[in-house]
Amino acid sequence: MQLRRSVPLVAVLVAGSLALTACGSSNNSSSSGGKKTIKIGFQGPLSGDNAQLGINGEFGVKTAIEEANKKGDLPFTLQLVTSDDIGKPEQGATAAQRLIDDSGVVAVVGPMFSGATKAAEPAFTKAGLLSVSPSATNPQLTSLGFTTFFRVIPPDDAQGQEAANYLTKVVKAKTVFSLDDKSEYGTGLSSVIEKQVKANGSTVIHDGIPPTKDYTAEADKVIAAKPDALFYSGYYAEFGLLVRALKSKGFTGTIMSGDGSNDDKFIAAAGASNAEGVLLTCPCGDANVDPNAKDFLASYKATNGGAKPGTYSPEAYDATNAIISVLKSLGNDATNRQKVADAFKTVNFKGITKTIAFTPTGEVTAKIVFVYKVVGGTRTVLGTTVDLVK
Amino acid sequence: MSFVDQFWQLTVTGLLVGAIYAVIALGYTLVYGVLQLINFAHSEVFMLGAFGGLFAVRALLPSGNINALLSVLLVLAGLAFGAASGGLAAFALERTAYRPLRRRGAPRLAYLISAIGASLFASNLAGKEFGRDSVNLPKDLFTYNTEVFSVFGARVSSQDLVVFLVALAMLLILDRVVSGTQLGRGIRAVAQDADTASLMGVNVERVIVRTFVIGGLLAGAGGFLYAMKFNASFTMGFIPGVKAFTAAVLGGIGNVRGAVLGGLVLGLVENYGQFFLGADYTDVVAFMVLVLILLVRPSGLLGERLGRAA
Amino acid sequence: MTTAVSARLSSPLARRLGGCLFLALVTAVVTGPDGSNVHPLDGVKNSLLNTRVFGFLVFGLLLFAVTSLSGRTKPIGLTQVRTRLSQAVGQRGTRPTGYLLLLAIAVLVPLQLSPAAQGSLFLDVGIYALLALGLNVVVGYAGLLDLGYIAFYAIGAYTTAYFTSSVINGKVVYPLPVHSPLLLNPFFVFPIAVLIASVAGIILGGPTLRLRGDYLAIVTLGFGEIVQILARNSDPLTNGSRGAFGVPPLSLHIGGFSYTWGQDALPYYYLLLGIVVVVMIAFSRLERSRIGRALAAIREDEVAAEASGVQTLRYKLLAFAIGASTSGFAGVLYATRQFFNPETFSLQASILVLTIVIFGGMGNIFGAVLGAVVLQGLAYILRDPIPLIGFKVPDADRFVYFGAVIMIMMVFRPQGLVPSRRRKREITMSEQGMGSADSLGSGEVSA
Repeated sequence: MQLRRSVPLVAVLVAGSLALTACGSSNNSSSSGGKKTIKIGFQGPLSGDNAQLGINGEFGVKTAIEEANKKGDLPFTLQLVTSDDIGKPEQGATAAQRLIDDSGVVAVVGPMFSGATKAAEPAFTKAGLLSVSPSATNPQLTSLGFTTFFRVIPPDDAQGQEAANYLTKVVKAKTVFSLDDKSEYGTGLSSVIEKQVKANGSTVIHDGIPPTKDYTAEADKVIAAKPDALFYSGYYAEFGLLVRALKSKGFTGTIMSGDGSNDDKFIAAAGASNAEGVLLTCPCGDANVDPNAKDFLASYKATNGGAKPGTYSPEAYDATNAIISVLKSLGNDATNRQKVADAFKTVNFKGITKTIAFTPTGEVTAKIVFVYKVVGGTRTVLGTTVDLVK
Repeated sequence: MSFVDQFWQLTVTGLLVGAIYAVIALGYTLVYGVLQLINFAHSEVFMLGAFGGLFAVRALLPSGNINALLSVLLVLAGLAFGAASGGLAAFALERTAYRPLRRRGAPRLAYLISAIGASLFASNLAGKEFGRDSVNLPKDLFTYNTEVFSVFGARVSSQDLVVFLVALAMLLILDRVVSGTQLGRGIRAVAQDADTASLMGVNVERVIVRTFVIGGLLAGAGGFLYAMKFNASFTMGFIPGVKAFTAAVLGGIGNVRGAVLGGLVLGLVENYGQFFLGADYTDVVAFMVLVLILLVRPSGLLGERLGRAA
Repeated sequence: MTTAVSARLSSPLARRLGGCLFLALVTAVVTGPDGSNVHPLDGVKNSLLNTRVFGFLVFGLLLFAVTSLSGRTKPIGLTQVRTRLSQAVGQRGTRPTGYLLLLAIAVLVPLQLSPAAQGSLFLDVGIYALLALGLNVVVGYAGLLDLGYIAFYAIGAYTTAYFTSSVINGKVVYPLPVHSPLLLNPFFVFPIAVLIASVAGIILGGPTLRLRGDYLAIVTLGFGEIVQILARNSDPLTNGSRGAFGVPPLSLHIGGFSYTWGQDALPYYYLLLGIVVVVMIAFSRLERSRIGRALAAIREDEVAAEASGVQTLRYKLLAFAIGASTSGFAGVLYATRQFFNPETFSLQASILVLTIVIFGGMGNIFGAVLGAVVLQGLAYILRDPIPLIGFKVPDADRFVYFGAVIMIMMVFRPQGLVPSRRRKREITMSEQGMGSADSLGSGEVSA
């Protein structure tokens, strides 16, 4: 291509591509048959490295909203507004402000990441706009004076304590190797586990390794330490690689990880034979294996072009439905942000993962932790820690 | 667990990772040799090669068991497709992000930024087209837990051995290409003095394109090896890219053998460092060593001219 | 050399047609449906094997027609506008009306924007403009490629967190596990942070500035990584990846007068605007001073500069320290927005600042600011539907478009939006085959 005659070329390029894309995407922003429109916001990482987790959440919210609109028993039509924070704290406040600026938004599902949440919540609090996180598990978040913040997932300490109890009392591990991914989530979880394991009288070896592809050297290190069990605090992609490396080096101890790894993609990443027998804890019932979530699974796939629910999709779905139940009960007051935020404090909604009800600080009261085991290449539920740890 | 006990294990792992760094580093070094430019988008060539090889093998993979011969053939097919994808990507990159700038006599930093733009474009487009989750082979081409041999007690799996040997073979072939063929002479001539080379009848443009493509072939095949051992994702290029770039500088940028040496040294240093200071500080150790080496030898371990490499 | 090559490259019509159609198809794929890792080629297939592709092909032909018909005639009108624009902002002659107009725009336009846009104007545009101004001294004036620039920003932010505390819910909150025995108003942290950042710059620069070109780039890159890794891992000092929460906002207490920059972004923006203007004035004076001339000499030919008595290392250190202190200053401002964590101080952020400097026009202070406005503004605007046609770029694809814009810009305007006069001359000289456009490192771009 001759590039010298740049200016008209650029003009045509820009104009042409814009015009074409306009034809290409005819968004269905149809009107709503006389009903008022109420918007629910979603904030999460929709671009960048962690976009997949954000998309999981967004699709969960979308599923709930479409279901509610289809049912048609609401006095208004719901609409989803998304705001991308790339999962980064420096974008968190701006992304939140965009939702606040849209006066039609009465409640927000999100933010998803703890760092972005810390940056965003002061703005939500100031605006009196309800925000319900499906996934931010950093324990600190409910003690920072964010008055409109709630989360439908128990903080890391609940899960960590239960996981540690399971390892020391059921698996009867005398030495536990605690490895985290140095993320806010990973370090939060590992520190709780280590405390509880020590309290239960077992030995802890701690190490941290930021997400990488190569866990060969770390596997050597773990094996050399001869632990009875290893707990990894991090996400599924890295956990899969870690398990692969451990098994290829001949590690025979118990391997366990938390909710960040509780995803079928972990098995794919590790290879089914390597993943066999691996334990996972999660405060969530997983939609792909949980019989209670069958309807959700079908509806999610129908709404989102056949995509399967991923990590945090069911939580986002539950958070949205809890919000919708509050909006419904408020009727005409559903457009008042402050009333929505106040009414949400006393919500009691039976979702697919748990019953959504909150303590005064915004923590979900149901601190159920499930234990999963990989058997024959699929995750199966062993039960809740309440039943398993006697 | 002392360092002496772990020494050989760490060495084996370090050499393995280092060999992959070296394969990528060659792309940086070759392009640097002829253009004196850091090809920032090289990491995305590596990423596209990984996807190309992985998807090809996945399409060819039979449903039943794999015997030894079949797995060798599959690895070769993956390497071929990975190299082809990488070569094609590098060619497209040179055409779109470099050549137009060269015609305009752009300042060097403009190339850097154009390549950064290309890198953002390519990696996010890959995310759009191939999904944003990591992808790996549905089953292992080599059965795990099979120790082929052990070096002073270090466990080496058959897959690791394959990765290392293939990487080594590629490095040797490239070294022969650069030092022994007419194309290699052209590359060295352009690296030493492009103007004179052009006067002596070397088609400089063609040499530049071919240099990009050779770098792309290597990075693509390296991408497949990496994806076979670990996995592939649209963001996978960045970190190995930075490491390989470091390796190239460490060895003396523009120097083919230097890049190989730099890759291996970096791999080893990282692994030893990880043992002493923990995984958190792997990169700190690697960069500290780099700074120290550069302070003692300001133009890298083996000096920097591509022309002198052979 | 250059002429010989370009003669050989003169492309026939067919090749241009091919290029236009290729571009059209790439556009079709970029704007088309997504693929997945299960069916990796579906996205491309559905984009191309669809009636919409004809629209794109027509557009490609149109592009070809326009570029061919316009022939060799230069788009005079636009060139003139461009020249005038760069004259208005790039030339030495004081044009107070032009400057006042720009300042008026910078003061008045934000009042019309939504609070979210105002927030972005402070955090994304303003802070990065300040960072770019500092890096411009290092890269644009002195010709040193620094890829770890954001480390000084981190140093500024952590210094602020160390020296401050705030009260949240009636409790005193310290942003870091360790805190200074003497707690300060953030305003008093500015000089401390600037001092620490410039000392860090000198400590880093001392041994490494002897390295040339790309070696310096990789060493600074390493330094940037090390600072981020230390911030992430030194939990007892930095709170690790949990970050520092509870840095107080800026506040001023003079006698009976007291003002606090609260949560709203606009007051922060105006404060920052004032700072940016002061920095711009200072740096444009610096450029014209003895120091600026010495730096230009080093950039254009270090050996010649050394030979004519310029103490190159000293001046390079000075440039490095000026850049570092600007970055540290920006870090204090950023920290006073209450919360930050180590993720912010990534290599990607360093690369973004560098991109802004080059995109805007290396060596030109207006270029640095304009680069921040255009690039960061673009990143923000792409979140909304594009005006007139209503197409919304899917969030996940935003960086595809962002990358394409950077690439297209560099292809068509490698000297940046508003290049400095001196650099423009260097580039013209290089186009005419007289020396290199750039003396970063040793070699010229051969071809």
